[in-house]
Amino acid sequence: MQSKASYLIGKTVELILTLLVVSLLVFAAFSVIPGDTARVMLGPDATESQVELLRAELGLDKPLAARYLSWLLGLLTFNPGKSYAYNVSVSGLIAQRLPVTIGMSIIAMIMVILISYPLAVLSSRKPGRLGDQICSVIGHVLFAIPPYVASLLLILLTSSVFSLLTVGNYVSPSEDFFEYIGCLLLPSFAVALPKIAMSFKFLRSSIIEQKSADYVRTAKSHGMSDLKILIRHVLPNSNVSSITIISIILSDILGGSLIVEQVFNLPGLGRLLLSAISRRDFPLLSGIVFYLALVTVLLYFISDIAASFADPRIRLK
Amino acid sequence: MTRHIHIVKVHHLTLSFPTRKDPDPRPVLDDVDFGIRDGEILGLIGNSGSGKTMTSLAIAGLLPEAANITSGSIKFAGKDLLEMSPKERRAMLGKDIGMIFQEPSTALDPLMTCGKQLDEVIRAHQDASVTPEDRRKMVTDMLRIVGFTNPDEIYGRYPHQLSGGQRQRVLIAGAALLKPRLLICDEPTSSLDTVTTVSILALLRDLCHRFHMTILFISHDLSAVRGFCDRVMVMKDGKIVDMDTTADILNHPRNSYTAELLTNARLDTRNLGLEPATVDYSKSPVLTAKNITAGYAKPLFGRSKNKTETNNVLHDVSLEVFPNEILGLIGGSGSGKTTLIRSLLDLLPHSGTVNLRSSSVGAIFQDPVSCLNPAHTIKWHMLEALNASGKKRGKVSRSERKALSLKRIITVLEECGLGEEYLTRRPKELSGGQRQRVAIAMCLIQEPALIIADEPFSSLDASSSAELLKLMTDINRERNTAFLLITHNIHIVRQIAPRVIVMSDGRICEEGTTSDVLNNPRSEACSALLEAERRVHGTIS
Amino acid sequence: MARAKKNSAEKTPEASVFYIVGLVLLGIVVAAFIVSLFWTPFEPDATDAASKLMAPCASHPFGTDNFGRDVLSRIMSASKYTIFISIAGVAIALALGTIAGIPAGYFGGFTDRGIMLIGNSIMCFPGILLALVAVAVFGASVGNVIWALGLVFAPTFARVCRVGTMEIKELDYITHARVMGVRPLRIMTFHIFPNLVPQLLPATVIGLANMTLFESGMSYLGLGVQPPDASFGKMLADAQAYVRVAPWLIIFPALMLVFYILGLYFISEGLRISLSKGGK
Repeated sequence: MQSKASYLIGKTVELILTLLVVSLLVFAAFSVIPGDTARVMLGPDATESQVELLRAELGLDKPLAARYLSWLLGLLTFNPGKSYAYNVSVSGLIAQRLPVTIGMSIIAMIMVILISYPLAVLSSRKPGRLGDQICSVIGHVLFAIPPYVASLLLILLTSSVFSLLTVGNYVSPSEDFFEYIGCLLLPSFAVALPKIAMSFKFLRSSIIEQKSADYVRTAKSHGMSDLKILIRHVLPNSNVSSITIISIILSDILGGSLIVEQVFNLPGLGRLLLSAISRRDFPLLSGIVFYLALVTVLLYFISDIAASFADPRIRLK
Repeated sequence: MTRHIHIVKVHHLTLSFPTRKDPDPRPVLDDVDFGIRDGEILGLIGNSGSGKTMTSLAIAGLLPEAANITSGSIKFAGKDLLEMSPKERRAMLGKDIGMIFQEPSTALDPLMTCGKQLDEVIRAHQDASVTPEDRRKMVTDMLRIVGFTNPDEIYGRYPHQLSGGQRQRVLIAGAALLKPRLLICDEPTSSLDTVTTVSILALLRDLCHRFHMTILFISHDLSAVRGFCDRVMVMKDGKIVDMDTTADILNHPRNSYTAELLTNARLDTRNLGLEPATVDYSKSPVLTAKNITAGYAKPLFGRSKNKTETNNVLHDVSLEVFPNEILGLIGGSGSGKTTLIRSLLDLLPHSGTVNLRSSSVGAIFQDPVSCLNPAHTIKWHMLEALNASGKKRGKVSRSERKALSLKRIITVLEECGLGEEYLTRRPKELSGGQRQRVAIAMCLIQEPALIIADEPFSSLDASSSAELLKLMTDINRERNTAFLLITHNIHIVRQIAPRVIVMSDGRICEEGTTSDVLNNPRSEACSALLEAERRVHGTIS
Repeated sequence: MARAKKNSAEKTPEASVFYIVGLVLLGIVVAAFIVSLFWTPFEPDATDAASKLMAPCASHPFGTDNFGRDVLSRIMSASKYTIFISIAGVAIALALGTIAGIPAGYFGGFTDRGIMLIGNSIMCFPGILLALVAVAVFGASVGNVIWALGLVFAPTFARVCRVGTMEIKELDYITHARVMGVRPLRIMTFHIFPNLVPQLLPATVIGLANMTLFESGMSYLGLGVQPPDASFGKMLADAQAYVRVAPWLIIFPALMLVFYILGLYFISEGLRISLSKGGK
């Protein structure tokens, strides 16, 4: 039990250190911006004193370390300041766009699990059979299609063949929850497609590998049925190894949805990010980047902890 | 003679792996025909690929799907197994036929406690009327029978919390839980050390008597069946080539293949003419190690706790190696031998002092597969060793130096019995024995006063071992190189090492002249080693 | 035993199928690139008001876009950036990853923790986020895209090197080299690195494919290759407005992009299979 506590402490320290490095990376990126931010904001016509005034207002005249600390403190208290371009609080802007990105990621993850898991179990029953090979080839092809290309192809298909789903519509969850889900389905599917392939491929090989493990042979020699061995031994073991993959997939989905939002014209974090980039709105940009990285760091942390709970080899020494 | 009832009768069994390309391949089992008598321990010996494992899997009904039985039958207690449905066969597994396998480290599900896994055996066969309490009692009783004094604790342990020998006991408990009539043991001891092997074999014998079980014992090592099996069967290329009582097979092998296996199993050093150098103990030692204490670092965040509990593997070990001497170092697994030599070679952090009289010390290791870098040629290896030794060779031009080094390399290689043609070869083109020779040549080119050899024979067959042993004694005599030889083969130590050190639990428990220590062991650890050696390999005069 | 024999006999043709299909797909894109160096049917940037949004026909086999530019010519010239950026980016990532990963695996301890902390932190930016930031700060240009993606991909290679080094350094030949007195730098470069090649090779090919995925995504967002130069991503972004009227504008660039990525995946799969078999 003691080693478990020290494992948790170790992981937490690692989490904090990672967050620190992540925040330093983000801050450093925005501190080395060529050109004077205040000058850029005010344009070439502003007088020197106006620029100085804005610099003081933005805190740009303070030393680097102080700026970093106040910036980090602001982010951690969910009060990262005001957007240059929109002139409203960054956290408000992000909160407004969050339902799209989070919703898409969750729906896509559900799709990945619901589709890849049964397929992998079925496929690994008789590796090398026709059904398995078809699944594997399709998996390879899907894996190679970038999410935004998949979106375009899906739009092409739905608009010309079905013309059922309208592209570019968005209904916020507070208005009509089911319509909100409905308009996110297609983009989520586009994001999920390559990840379904990835998850399928990993799960399939993991199940096949576990099936040939020595302990399965032992269980067989004990007279257990194949189905029982699959449920009691093979799946739990392959689940342990897939926890890490799932966290990587989730992070990829988050990253993929940033682009796909653009294709489907959805008002999510991705579009906010792009507008922040094009307007050189650095407080907004650094806020989005930091929070997205924060989510990923936490995701990996949770998956590590989950893996330690599932695997006694990590939990107990 | 009494009539023997055969519990298993394999009748002209032929088995092959047909593929689409090759629908009629060479059979893996070719007309195999034998019987296992009720209550006996039958040994099945053969090299890998001889079909011994397939024979056992055929009896158990666990053949891979691609296997195809072309002819023959297998009868178990009069019932034809090949006629049965898969479900009926599965019902027999664990109940009538138990199995244990080679690798105890992976044969248990790492996510499930040992008790749960044993519990599943009962649940797979018993109806619902057996209560969980009954099942638990059955499991703990069996755990006690296989030698655990704390069965309740073992019940809740995960496999990774047990040692290899303990895991094998748990697996034996699982196989014997429902008291099957036949227990198939597929190389159950080949990954265990000799002391554990002896105790596992004793346990199997005990179970055999207690539950009136029949055992089919599979091994690649003919010497392992000594004193354990009643009868032995030898397989080669899918055929049974020899079958007799154990004593007859071991003492008067009639079949040439059996004889060959027998010589391979036992390293016979008597005809080699080993002449180690004579040692002058008045000279100052080449290696002096004082008060070596070493251990493995704790994880970063575990360090602050348990400060009192030491994590050391070695405790205050001191030793000396004299010039020309071959010093034997023996001890069971986990006794700290490897940690000691890694400390001596300064590969591990340790406290205490190590004094080397010479500039360099050579080392050869256990595994001939990984002792050479697969990416480079032998010539590269030798040059690397030569350059690393850093010996200056006067003011000579580049090309001259190259020619000189090459000449030295060739001389040393030839001394180690490898010709010039080996220079351009890569490690994968060499046999295990040849690789160990290259490793020795790499040491020699650095002209060390001492070579530390860590179990150099354990992965080699008998003839390669004999050649390597001869090479080592020749070097010892002609070059006056001292050796520190770590081995579990007491027989070799007896032959070539004038002095021996016995280690146990990270301490030196005995030290002295070889004949003195091995003939009158004073420590418990040393007696156990000698006893195990005698049980497994028989007494060798 | 018999089982292993059977598997290896079956695996060889499987690997060669991957190689053949992969090389054919990759060959199409590479051929288009090589030919484009000398000849394209039309000038890739030449607009022609008379032939806007023409469906594929004899003179324009892949049709024309909204400016009347020949899609085939533009695809051919776009392949140049795809290939160049992926190779240059992977080269940077490989160099950084090897330099960081081998010492991390070899020395362990705090060196390892420090290097991996930075690597893991970089990997905590989902998808192309970090590359987008870099481009946002330093401006969108091919050069910036290359080093940004190189940085983003470096931790992947560092991980491969680190894990491989940790395995290899436990082997006897490395211990032997240490006992012989070979210096750590020499051990890492001459003793360990050559043995990492079998693991780095498939990782490199996969890296090329993933790099292309990221690059085309950035170009799609308008933050990669800048107009008027053609790139698959930008072509797809421009074509989106004409989904219904001119689907060929999407289909052909998408096909080329997928051919390139899929070809690389197949080759890496073939490499993985044949190398893992050779290793046993």
